[in-house]
Amino acid sequence: MTDFSIVMGIETEYGIVRNDLRESDPVIESMELVRSYQSADLTGWLYQGEDPSLDARGFRVDNLAQDEEERAFTRSDYKRFFSFHEMKSDRILSNGGRFYNDHTHPEFSTPESSSIMDLLRYDRAGIDILLLAKKEREQSLGGSGLLSLYRNNTDYHGHSYGCHENYLLPRDIPFDRIVQGCVPFLVARTVLLGAGKYGYESSEKRGSVRYQASQRSDFIETLVSVDTMHCRPLVNSRDEPHADRNHFRRLHLILGDANMSEWQTAMKLGMTKMVLRDLILDGWEPEIALDDPVESIRLVSKGLRDQPLLRLQKGQWTALDILEYYVEALEKRSLDRDSEDRWVLSEWKTAIEQFKSDPSLLSNRVDWIAKEEILSRFREEESLSPDDPWLQSLDLEYHNIDPDQGLFRALEESGDMLRLTGEASVRNAVTQPPGLGRPPVRHAIIRRFPEDVVEAGWEKIRFRSGELVVLPLFQSFREEEISRLIERIGRLSSPREIAEVIRPYTEWTNLQER
Amino acid sequence: MFDGESVVLFPERKTIPGGPGRETQKDSPVPKRPETKKTGDRLMDRMKKVDPNQSERYRQRTGE
Repeated sequence: MTDFSIVMGIETEYGIVRNDLRESDPVIESMELVRSYQSADLTGWLYQGEDPSLDARGFRVDNLAQDEEERAFTRSDYKRFFSFHEMKSDRILSNGGRFYNDHTHPEFSTPESSSIMDLLRYDRAGIDILLLAKKEREQSLGGSGLLSLYRNNTDYHGHSYGCHENYLLPRDIPFDRIVQGCVPFLVARTVLLGAGKYGYESSEKRGSVRYQASQRSDFIETLVSVDTMHCRPLVNSRDEPHADRNHFRRLHLILGDANMSEWQTAMKLGMTKMVLRDLILDGWEPEIALDDPVESIRLVSKGLRDQPLLRLQKGQWTALDILEYYVEALEKRSLDRDSEDRWVLSEWKTAIEQFKSDPSLLSNRVDWIAKEEILSRFREEESLSPDDPWLQSLDLEYHNIDPDQGLFRALEESGDMLRLTGEASVRNAVTQPPGLGRPPVRHAIIRRFPEDVVEAGWEKIRFRSGELVVLPLFQSFREEEISRLIERIGRLSSPREIAEVIRPYTEWTNLQER
Repeated sequence: MFDGESVVLFPERKTIPGGPGRETQKDSPVPKRPETKKTGDRLMDRMKKVDPNQSERYRQRTGE
């Protein structure tokens, strides 16, 4: 089971504001930003067949939950003079990713990949794509600096937006077993993966201005749910595999923070992938269970450097004890791991050791620690009180993606934060798809028949003739084989020939999955 | 890659987290220790320019 290769992806919603207006319309601003990005393969997303109301526990909900305010906004959105598709403004990008307006936030989704490093490059390319779109949009508005974009998860007034992770797993692994196996880890990882926030926003503490490790934990209100906008869960049960649903289920995690730190993004994907693949898919079950996981994630976030004991069903552990328990379980399994996995394991152990010794040792790779240190220094220099609102504004500015304004960007530029990607390869990832899997094939088909393709999604491409091409994952094919397929697609004279060319790959994939 | 293998999957890493005995790539600078006290004045200047009321005005709609 552990030779299963987990296909992953990250989707990040960004905050957007107009600096020249007292109030701006987030729907319009988000739409216009996305539309300003000129280099797209296609502008039609294939929504047909997608159903976010399907629950992995075997049922479908009638309505996804929204709070009263958002319900009112949605009602007024219906009265606008543009269609659902116009509002979404979908851009299918040549790099295999997707750029669109998702719930009033510009969102970039990386192409699918099993490689952490690939995903990191594409996630970073997403930031550059947003900056290119911002430049175009500002030019059309008549001046630079008119827009700000934030890679964070909150407006500090109770509105959150997400950075979601996706892990494609075999369908035959029961959803409940994933939940049971993952939850202690997902709660505990917050201590190493938080982006840091100056403020409390959980309903009972809203308005308090204190620092905490996570942006998102205040918004996690239940253990499992299909909802994503209200009463958000630790484990989202949306059942939308974006692949053959007879063989796959997609674990869609919405609890994580949008990190500025590349190390944290890499570790988030790497640690979670290994827990899923090497432990849970292999039949391992944790011997620990948190008494109250939702309360625990908030305690971890507020615990900062002095991590509290969390109540287990038997005993009490800190988040670091839990992370240590999982990494030890992984190390006990004698597997032939690739260098990405070995890097993750090594970093995981080192991070626990360093946190226990002195959390400041992690200040060059953990957002919440880096941010806490620069805010503390600023507070001392300016003699500010701990609840001065300036500190929250500085927190926001840490997440500004503009290299000339963002505080993280300054730390990274000066070498005080680690950077794992190289500029040349990120530049390449802005326009080129990864070499493996489904994205390069999808891109090749769209590029070959630009006049014939009407809409495309992760898995399917619909042509003007009505024909629908369903793509397998192409996971078991080497880069050379994918390149040969792409060359062949380039020589096709009609979209009708695609199905025949793809068929052997689909049959081989089905054979492998049986 | 970090134990001297020929396959390098993280070829672009400029620095590697500090720690005794850690190897670095040939073209990588010496691992950096977190030294936020030495963070340049440029960062502090940038921080001073931030409008103290910016977060109060910052409003978004709920996303996912």
